[in-house]
Amino acid sequence: MTLGSVVAAAEGPLVAAAVVAVLLAAAVAWKLGVRAERRRQRARLVESVRRLDLPAPTAGGDGPEPLVAVLERAVRDLRAEGSVSAEARARLQEALDALPQAVLIVDDAGVVVDRNAAAEAFVAARHSDALVEAAVGELVDAALRGEPASRTIDLFGPPRRVVAVTTAPLESGVGRTAVAVVDDITERRRLEAVRTDFVANISHELKTPVGAIGLLAETLEAEEDREVTERLAQRIQDEAHRVGRTIEDLLELSRIELGQVVAPEPVSIGDVVQEAIARIRPAAEQARVTVTADVPADLTIDGDRRQLTSALSNLLDNAVKYSEPDSAASVEIRAVGRDRDVVITVADHGIGIPTRDIERVFERFYRVDQARSRQTGGTGLGLAIVRHVVANHHGSVEVESRLGEGSRFTLILPASPAADDTGQGPADPVPAPTPDPIPERL
Amino acid sequence: MAEQRKTFHQELDEIRDEIVQLAALVSEFIPRGTEVLLANDMQGALSLIEADDELDALTLRIEEQCYHVLALQQPMASDLRSIVTAVWLTGELERSGDLMVNVAKAARRIYGAALGPRLRGLIERMGEEAARLMKLAIDAYVERNASLGAALDDIDDTLDQLHRDYIEAIFEAHATHDLGLQPAVQLALIGRYYERIGDHAVNIGQRVQYMVTGWLPEQTGAARLQARTDGEDKAADAGETAAP
Repeated sequence: MTLGSVVAAAEGPLVAAAVVAVLLAAAVAWKLGVRAERRRQRARLVESVRRLDLPAPTAGGDGPEPLVAVLERAVRDLRAEGSVSAEARARLQEALDALPQAVLIVDDAGVVVDRNAAAEAFVAARHSDALVEAAVGELVDAALRGEPASRTIDLFGPPRRVVAVTTAPLESGVGRTAVAVVDDITERRRLEAVRTDFVANISHELKTPVGAIGLLAETLEAEEDREVTERLAQRIQDEAHRVGRTIEDLLELSRIELGQVVAPEPVSIGDVVQEAIARIRPAAEQARVTVTADVPADLTIDGDRRQLTSALSNLLDNAVKYSEPDSAASVEIRAVGRDRDVVITVADHGIGIPTRDIERVFERFYRVDQARSRQTGGTGLGLAIVRHVVANHHGSVEVESRLGEGSRFTLILPASPAADDTGQGPADPVPAPTPDPIPERL
Repeated sequence: MAEQRKTFHQELDEIRDEIVQLAALVSEFIPRGTEVLLANDMQGALSLIEADDELDALTLRIEEQCYHVLALQQPMASDLRSIVTAVWLTGELERSGDLMVNVAKAARRIYGAALGPRLRGLIERMGEEAARLMKLAIDAYVERNASLGAALDDIDDTLDQLHRDYIEAIFEAHATHDLGLQPAVQLALIGRYYERIGDHAVNIGQRVQYMVTGWLPEQTGAARLQARTDGEDKAADAGETAAP
């Protein structure tokens, strides 16, 4: 036995013991490390739970698991809330999109961060809308400085519009932002104008002749010259007729406005046209204006003959009045069946209507040219009557006009169902030569 | 570099947006001036004349922006053409606005003159046509639509025809003593202002063509002149050669 083998035999158990000790130490160290890591994780989780204001777990030991459970529950709740919030946001966006006003929200740098559907028109806009966009930009700058601002912009178009822009600052947690609202107030303005003009015009139409009658009567009382008194009496008569005509038209309009068509009956358009022409014949002869009519005899609609005659004679009266006198001008009236409608046009070659007035001519007492209307002696109610008659017959009225070239009024009225069922008249879209047109020449 | 290009293109976009705003102001001036004239609206005339300052200020701002970009960014090719076009367009638009201011001033001069329906109708139609041309010109610019830009010359024929009818109507009205000499002269000038606005719209269309394609109508004439000069030089050379 050598010395080496003796030492080896003696050290064997020692080495084994040392290895076991090292392994034990490593295991203990690992265990301690794991526990320390769990403590660190727990501390981090505790901190997270505290920062999120979540309730601390009351049971489940001192490991991280109860805290993880708390956090998992919080995540589930947040997801559910997020889903509710997305739904609410979608609902809010839908509501904003349904608004006729444009709504834009901008951040503190003036960048649009949110907008509704109506606001699309004012982003990278052209023409008139570009001016609205520029105004929004200016007013938003003011709002971002903390000053609410508003401006009304008149746009000449076409189409002519009035737009109100309002901005306000929004103080939120993320700093100052702003909201801008663009509202098209054209219709509101138009209705305001209609109301104020109506009040002014009706008082003018009734007060002026009544005032004139009073003054003329006073003068008449003091006048002795027979020739002058006769002239004054004639003037009083004229003014009285004028008031009478206005009152008659007002009553007629009132009846038409209230009446609708109580008992519609088949009305021959040819008969209505003949009657209307007969009514305006003296005026046309006096002004030397030719009236021609081209109306198929079998054209009928279900309606009120009196109302229809009134509407047509008002249109013809205007056409004659606003044709140049002694100019051999003509007024044409034409009726055709088109699909399920009867289309009646009254066209003249007179002075025409300015574009800006076209949409207002159907208002009561609206005058394109006050001075001329006084000369021609109209009451200012004719086209209002036409509009109401057409509405009572579930039809529509269109007007095309050019200054200096003339006007064309088109009445579109539903044809009589009986005629339609039999395939007669109105069903034919082509205005083919009619068997029995009514030629009327004055 | 990428950041610098991005800024440059943002600047180009801003210039385009401001030109659209300038054009919108001018397009508004046209119906506004026409209404002032037809309605004998003295207050409206004054307000339009004063609004010209806004137009001038915006024109100057755009021009300065263009020069700023030219000096600092030194653009090339299509970018350079965009900036040059923007400078041209400000001039055309500002001049068109001035012409409507002239209409407002003329309306003040002939205040109270009775215009017949035919003349009024023609003024209304010239105003509508001039505004339509201006809007089409700006559509061509925003959409970079060279074809529309080129078509404006033909579209302008309608306004030219209206202008001829208008001048004829002035002569007729004057001949029948319905219109005095002074209002007749003023009205003739007004017609000329509308007609010139149409010409400015055509010019804008041509500048849009240049911006998109790099071609200007004048280049055809210049090329013809060059061809003639070259031909004459060759003939002279041939003559010199044949002389000895």
